[in-house]
Amino acid sequence: MTKNSDTTAGIYKETLLAGLWRENPVFRLLLGMCPTLAVTAAVKPALTMGLSVIFVLVCSNIVVSLMRNLLKPHLRILMFTLTIATFVTIADLFLKAFQPEMSETLGPYVPLIIVNCIIICRAEACASKNNLLVSIIDAVGMGVGFTLTLCVLAGVRELLSTGMIFEAKVMPDWFVPWAAMSMPVGAFITLGLLLGLVNKLTKGKS
Amino acid sequence: MPDNITVSPAPHISEPVWTHRVMIDVLIGLVPAMAAAGYYFRLYALILICTCVISSVVTEWLCNLICKKPNSLGDFSAVVTGVILALSLPPGLPIWAAVIGSVFSIAIGKMVFGGLGSNIFNPAMVGRAFLTASFGMMMTTWTVPATIDSTMPRIAPENMLHARTQATPLGWSKIAIKDRNGAKIFNDEQFEATLIGEVGGCLGETSAIALLIGGLYLLIRRTINFHIPLAVLLSAFVFGSIAYLIDPDAYMQPVFHLTSGGMLLCAFFIATDPVTAPLTRRGMWIFGAGVGTITMLIRIVGAYPEGVMFSVLLMNAVTPLIDRLCKRVPAGGKPGV
Amino acid sequence: MSKIKYFVQQSWLLIVSSFCFGLLLAIANAAWSPIIEQNRINKLNVLAGRLIPKAKDFVPLEELGVEIKVKLLKGEKKKVDVYKAVTGDECFGWTFNAVGPGFQDKIELIIAVDKDFKTIAGFDVLASNESPGTGDKIKEEDFRTQFKAKPAAKLEVIKSGEARDNKILAISGATISSEAVVKIINHYVKEVKEEMQRKGLIGNDKEQ
Repeated sequence: MTKNSDTTAGIYKETLLAGLWRENPVFRLLLGMCPTLAVTAAVKPALTMGLSVIFVLVCSNIVVSLMRNLLKPHLRILMFTLTIATFVTIADLFLKAFQPEMSETLGPYVPLIIVNCIIICRAEACASKNNLLVSIIDAVGMGVGFTLTLCVLAGVRELLSTGMIFEAKVMPDWFVPWAAMSMPVGAFITLGLLLGLVNKLTKGKS
Repeated sequence: MPDNITVSPAPHISEPVWTHRVMIDVLIGLVPAMAAAGYYFRLYALILICTCVISSVVTEWLCNLICKKPNSLGDFSAVVTGVILALSLPPGLPIWAAVIGSVFSIAIGKMVFGGLGSNIFNPAMVGRAFLTASFGMMMTTWTVPATIDSTMPRIAPENMLHARTQATPLGWSKIAIKDRNGAKIFNDEQFEATLIGEVGGCLGETSAIALLIGGLYLLIRRTINFHIPLAVLLSAFVFGSIAYLIDPDAYMQPVFHLTSGGMLLCAFFIATDPVTAPLTRRGMWIFGAGVGTITMLIRIVGAYPEGVMFSVLLMNAVTPLIDRLCKRVPAGGKPGV
Repeated sequence: MSKIKYFVQQSWLLIVSSFCFGLLLAIANAAWSPIIEQNRINKLNVLAGRLIPKAKDFVPLEELGVEIKVKLLKGEKKKVDVYKAVTGDECFGWTFNAVGPGFQDKIELIIAVDKDFKTIAGFDVLASNESPGTGDKIKEEDFRTQFKAKPAAKLEVIKSGEARDNKILAISGATISSEAVVKIINHYVKEVKEEMQRKGLIGNDKEQ
């Protein structure tokens, strides 16, 4: 899938920072585009989605890392999917029970975390090759990186499409909401511009 | 080597066809439409046009600055984009919305792709599409031309509830399709009104005569080929005729479709954009026919009263395919075959 | 025999973890499903209470020993959850759940009518997936208040003008979602009314 990026297994800080910026799942690896585009119309669902992904990512990385020596190569994807699906279902049930409104807003996108590439990518690229601690740190780094990116994207879109951030009004009264920003087109344009900005900022550095 | 020295085999016929010449010609062609806009919608129309032009130019300048590219203002394409965008806006649009549209046109519609010549979609239509998606209400609120009394029945059929907000010929057409009273609404007087431009609509699209004059100028100057305008108008006419022949009660006469809405503006000034239209003659016919047909499909079947913007954008998207389809075979057969 | 051995060798981890994960899910489900169910009922009661504020209780018709089955928009016949809005013995109206196709996904509604099925008391959206910014506005007060006190007969969608009589003004830019809602309401009000008349719950004086 991707090249093994964790040759620096001993350096935990490196691993953590990789997920946050250098290998940010959305901006650098371009993984998990489906939730990125679909649930970033407002910050609150984006944050909920991000936290769910962190939970699933950490749990699946723990389990995969623990059983990494027992895995049969040709059955490993099956094991990954089974693990991920279990934790996603738990996250989905949890949201339904304690955050019913958010669960309704996110709709099918919570169960769809199962097919989110970031999680299976980390299971394959990191957890199945590294020890428990590195796997957990990697999961936290990647998960937080994903969540932050989602929130930035959602912040821009929510601000422009409703004049609010986190459901609190921030724009002055004369501001007319840009309805297009809450539509899919807004997601694509905002993502494109942010990607361009990130590329511009990191140009020549890596 | 200086630009004015050209080394080439005979015959030495040269013509100064540069981008800025073409763009200035297009601007001259748009003058009648701008004048009509100024006449019917008064000072505010001119303010809108100036706003769009200035913000387009400033945006292009800023984009070049940020991307550290050479200044490209000299080709006048930003001015043309600004004018075309302004002419396709409703006359009552707030200034700030026009600014957002222009910035979007130039930045997202053109500069992101790498400037003039690299853009896939017509920049002005990209900006207008964004405005339509964002401020749907404003973009469909029409004001009555200043030359007529807004209470006069000429502008609105009697059965219209909100004459002020839907007083475009295409708006009536949509209602006529629903109520099946097209024959009653569209008479000679109405047709005359759409010709001279005394109807509601976007700034530059109301007056068919002004647009025709501008279009003819471009054709005579050979700034544009006749293929695309003819294909657009012909296909729209044919499609409109079919609908009219099937049910003359519901659908308005095909000529109306040509003179009202953005059809003429599109045929002469928008669809002919050399960057986003196909290069070959056959491609141009296909492109024009596609624009005309999709416009009519949206007008007659779709939910929107006007479809020019979407049809141009859709056909822009398939332009590379059309170009590939219509590759010209070099004299003497395909090389390497 | 060696085949079975090979099979177990290869897949024991899969089998064991399947059992473990299954157990985990069963526990989670057992622990949380009452809460999820309670959430659903709460939401229903809150929404129904907002639509018919005079009523204190919403009694499912099953408790009265009646079952209402109507044809869905797709054609098959299915049970509809009808609730009787009461305070003490006095009936203030009825609410029922409805479902139908929207612009992107199905729309689930709760519809409230007065006790004789003469006027609509209002509706609310239980679940929908309409496009944010436009279709999503079917949830908003502006659109929903139009339905209050409308006759429980065929409603009609208009794009402009005043929402008088049986006219409903569509949300600008979301005509399809608006029409979908009106279509669902028209269909269910008619079907449920007929069915309840047949069962003798309304239309004759049994309940009044």
